[in-house]
Amino acid sequence: MNAAVPVARRAGVLQEFGKLGAFLRRDLLIAWSYRSAFLSDLVALIAQAVLFYFVGLMVDPTKMPQYGGTRTSYMAFVVVGIAITSLLNVGVGRMIAVLRNEQLMGTLESLFLTPTRPTTIQLGLVLFDLVHIPIRMAAILALSVVVFGVEFRPAGLLPATAIVAVFIPFVWGLAATSAAAVLVFRRVTGLLGLGALALTVASGTYFPLDLLPGSLRWSGRFNPVAIALTGVRAALIGGVGWEHLGPQILLLAPMSAATLAAGVYTFRLALEKERRAGTLGIY
Amino acid sequence: MLAVGLMGGAPGLWPAPHAHTPWAIGVQDVSRYFGAKRALHRVSLTVRGGEVHALLGPNGAGKTTLLRILAGLTRPTIGSVRLMGHDVAAGNPLTHRLIGVVPAGDRSFYFRLSGQENLIFFARLHGLLQRDAVARSREVLGGVGLLDAAHLQVAKYSHGMQKRLSVARALLMDPPVLLVDEATHDLDPEGAGRVRELVRAAAGRGAAVIWATQRIDEIRGFADTVTLLYQGEARFTGTVPQLMAYSIPRTYLLRVRNGGLPVHTLATALAQAIGSRGVITADAGGDPEHWVLSLADGVALGDAIVALAGAQFQVLACQEARSQIEEAFLRLTREDTI
Repeated sequence: MNAAVPVARRAGVLQEFGKLGAFLRRDLLIAWSYRSAFLSDLVALIAQAVLFYFVGLMVDPTKMPQYGGTRTSYMAFVVVGIAITSLLNVGVGRMIAVLRNEQLMGTLESLFLTPTRPTTIQLGLVLFDLVHIPIRMAAILALSVVVFGVEFRPAGLLPATAIVAVFIPFVWGLAATSAAAVLVFRRVTGLLGLGALALTVASGTYFPLDLLPGSLRWSGRFNPVAIALTGVRAALIGGVGWEHLGPQILLLAPMSAATLAAGVYTFRLALEKERRAGTLGIY
Repeated sequence: MLAVGLMGGAPGLWPAPHAHTPWAIGVQDVSRYFGAKRALHRVSLTVRGGEVHALLGPNGAGKTTLLRILAGLTRPTIGSVRLMGHDVAAGNPLTHRLIGVVPAGDRSFYFRLSGQENLIFFARLHGLLQRDAVARSREVLGGVGLLDAAHLQVAKYSHGMQKRLSVARALLMDPPVLLVDEATHDLDPEGAGRVRELVRAAAGRGAAVIWATQRIDEIRGFADTVTLLYQGEARFTGTVPQLMAYSIPRTYLLRVRNGGLPVHTLATALAQAIGSRGVITADAGGDPEHWVLSLADGVALGDAIVALAGAQFQVLACQEARSQIEEAFLRLTREDTI
């Protein structure tokens, strides 16, 4: 085999990686041109934390689950839930919104006229959110610690990060599937929104899964969002180590890989279908 | 369909095309159907580097569909499209390195960003590093006369400025193939002329250009070759002079004077002078000096003028009622089969 081929491939990958920076810069500049949105997002973040703090005051602490022998407060429970599901929102809600926006602005075809791989375009479209949302997640966690006295175990940070890392390909798979649906069906917010809602309800974001009826509780065990949530809560709230989280990561990893592979394949099919139909630019 | 050999190419500045394809753009037997509707039927054309090829046709002729197929945005139902010898339909995004596209509409930029930031973004998607993208963007902005507006939001650009920005984006990577779709259809004459100059300059640097238009007059002195599309079919392919030769102008606007005749007898006297050589009617404006002469088949213009002069009419001016290209266009699109 020609030795130049892997080198060229590596250069190609690096070049594609560099293009992601262009998407990030573009979206940062656009976001900055709407300065008031930054401020309103910050206010919404604080308002959300305050809201759940007062909701938490009504919740009986003995009804809350234990992680690593530590009974969680509702505030700690829900803050982790919000942080993880906001990541899920990038995969479904934001991907639909940004792709639809590109369709409506007429810029989607301009992107596909550049020598950029569809996967890079897909990732680039939500990269700003992928950077912005974790910062937002960190901010809401920090706010809950500093202002509302929530306690997290510093030792759980690394295992929690590992679970999130394994969870991201699942989110990305959903994002690719959502993008494919937008390309082919255009207006899909309602249908995909319902799917995302079902995933969230059956994940234990806002309340423990034990409160759900039997069959739903059982299905939650195979919901990747629920697995990720339980793992991150166990790590951050209970300080549970790798020995307990390992099986959860092993369960989550193949689900993420399968979702990612299915999503990428679906997106390619959708793109080819649109090119064949000649309707890529139609919104 | 008429198939006429095309002109020779300009020196190539680009990656050499495959040895067996001397053309920069090669379209062979391309058909495209949208359900039962036929958008293109067995269209073939070739364009060499340095050549401006006009794609002329009325609305719905299939110009934009053909450009979208060339750009890889739409697949042909059958037929092949090759750019610099590479198959576009294979779906390789790298063929996009070869093309610059000026779309017909305005909605292809990020309006919240400045013109320069838009170009930097697209230059980076073409693989340039940030530093190089900035330098190249400023270079092409200067080239299209938008350097002063580089930092202005695109939302504040005039229509003509947006079109020039579109040309600038298409030229970012100095591509060997330039596809331009109705770039001047809603520009004022000065703006349209400027866009044509920019595109002609790109061809001068070796790019093969396809220029889709329904403006008949703009291709004279601008395009080297032309394909006339009508209802999805190529009715003519050849050089502009060859297209013009295909037309035989039959209708002329005349300015004549005969001081000795009263106005109400002019029409009769003119008709008598022309005789069986044609038909002469008053111009719609009602001016007694302006008339429309339609020649009969086989009659030369000179014979008609001599006949008028012989009847003591002074022919002060004579011009074609329609340009030769327009005549050819109408003739080629009127006939069912050529």
